[in-house]
Amino acid sequence: MKTVLSLKNVKKSIKGKPIIKGLSFDVHEGEVFGFLGPNGAGKTTTIRMIVGLMKISEGDIVICGKSIAKDFAGAVGKIGAIVENPEMYKFLTGYQNLLQYARMHKGIQKEKIIEVVELVGLSDKIHDKVHTYSLGMRQRLGLAQSLLHDPKLLILDEPTNGLDPAGIREIRGHLRKLAREQGMSVIVSSHLLSEMELMCDRIAIIQNGELIDVQNINDFVHQDKVSSYVFETGNLGGKEQWLRDKWDAKILDDGFSVDIAREQVPVILRSLIEYDIEIFGIGTANKTLEERFLEVTAN
Amino acid sequence: MMNLIINECAKLFRRPGTIVMLAIIAVLAAGLGGYFKYDEVKHPSQENVHWKKDLQTELKEDRETMASFGKSNQNMKKFYERQIAIKEYRISNDMAPEAEQNVWTFVRDTKGLISIVGVFTIIVAAGMVSSEFSWGTIKLLLIRPTSRVKILLSKYLTLLLFSLMLLSLLFTVSALAGLIFFGLPESSVPHLAFTNGEVVERSIFLQLIGEYLLSSIGMLMLATMAFMISTVFRNSSLAVGISLFLLLMGDMVTKIFAGSFTWAKYVLFANTDLSVYFDGVPLVEGMTFSFSVIMLVVYFLIFQLLAFGVFSKRDVAA
Repeated sequence: MKTVLSLKNVKKSIKGKPIIKGLSFDVHEGEVFGFLGPNGAGKTTTIRMIVGLMKISEGDIVICGKSIAKDFAGAVGKIGAIVENPEMYKFLTGYQNLLQYARMHKGIQKEKIIEVVELVGLSDKIHDKVHTYSLGMRQRLGLAQSLLHDPKLLILDEPTNGLDPAGIREIRGHLRKLAREQGMSVIVSSHLLSEMELMCDRIAIIQNGELIDVQNINDFVHQDKVSSYVFETGNLGGKEQWLRDKWDAKILDDGFSVDIAREQVPVILRSLIEYDIEIFGIGTANKTLEERFLEVTAN
Repeated sequence: MMNLIINECAKLFRRPGTIVMLAIIAVLAAGLGGYFKYDEVKHPSQENVHWKKDLQTELKEDRETMASFGKSNQNMKKFYERQIAIKEYRISNDMAPEAEQNVWTFVRDTKGLISIVGVFTIIVAAGMVSSEFSWGTIKLLLIRPTSRVKILLSKYLTLLLFSLMLLSLLFTVSALAGLIFFGLPESSVPHLAFTNGEVVERSIFLQLIGEYLLSSIGMLMLATMAFMISTVFRNSSLAVGISLFLLLMGDMVTKIFAGSFTWAKYVLFANTDLSVYFDGVPLVEGMTFSFSVIMLVVYFLIFQLLAFGVFSKRDVAA
């Protein structure tokens, strides 16, 4: 797999205080990479260093083989980004805003602008002044701006901030499509963990300027062999004690829940049938990303 | 680079405020013409038939002043030498000083409006960088494959273009208004310049353009300063405040200091009015044209080094 972005022991100090204490990780072609961390962990600082808004104190960032320290234009030219809220020139129309950015890259034709505007679904309003836009429309315009020059790496800092559920779903769709169809790599930072879970292939967790973990999202959430199962049953008929003692189960209003390995499920089922207890359903209660995240960052 | 300047122009001229500035300059220049015309109709100026006699009296006074002050003050001596030479030239060539308003005297009068051009240029200069920060658009501007030096340079060049545009607008509207209200002078009147101890006749049109440009130096220096403050402190009110205060008060304060301290000659405002070296007296004795030019260049470089140094190093965190 081709590496699109590579951070090499990146450090950043502001006024002598270390903010980022040596980050190293790679982002591959065509993956959606999540960037997680509590507030003040250094997410935004890291993203600002990748896009060139902040200087690196030590180490290097390489984008498509080009070092941001040595070849700024070459490296940054491969990136499209929205850093926090996409602020646009409000006194210009959406189209005029896009023209501003198109002029700063080489060889962007009018057709390309129109194509991008259609992709983000803003064709109707593109010639209206931006101050008439809703937040969702500004987000779309921000996305359009970041896609004009066909970047290899798309960086979105809090992309779903202030979007309604439909808007979030749409953005998620766009990102997946761009990653799958055009092989674009996407870095997403967000504090909406459930969103990250739906969007990302891999996630990195940072805390206090240090990388804690980089993992595939599925491994991360389903790391444990033991999962939590919820049994929906009728009257347990006096077998509560047996469940508590043998399986360490929690008795619920309409059943019970246990933390067991997969192979144990039929064992319990057989016993329940033997005891003549009615079973209406069994479900897994996976640990959510949120629970895992809190677990990892707790110490 | 061209594209960057187009971008800056688009941002500048698509804002209503900028258009209002252009309109104010045009209306003021034309309005001043109307007022002068009204004044002229009310109090018609009379042709002075005794102008030669008057000039003779003035000449006598000038010679006396030169004799008494000229020895101690070299600059004073030059000033009076020039005055005397021009007056003598007028008498011997039978060229009366202009008594009636005509298009050229009017264009010279509206030179005073250059300070309004200065105010507008400073306002624009103060906003160029700081508004990108306050709008938040700086983040999308600096993640392009363009060096920060180029971005700032395009902003400064656009500022110069804007200032030049206001100046030419002022000049053109004044000339048009002057032409409509006062017409061309009856006989073509050249500008009398005094160079190398000789009086020479010059085209009044070119002379006026030169005078406009010379009068703009001070305002351009202050606009450069406003641009620097706005870049370094990201605060447009601070930049407008300091620069406008200096534009209005700088000359006066410097003149007060110049009376008692010779170091006043190192102050920016002692050097902005280069026209004193062509017809007038410099503020502090011993100042020369090249001294002032060097001082201006030094100030300019300090402003630009600060602006470009800070802008290209700054971490954009807001």
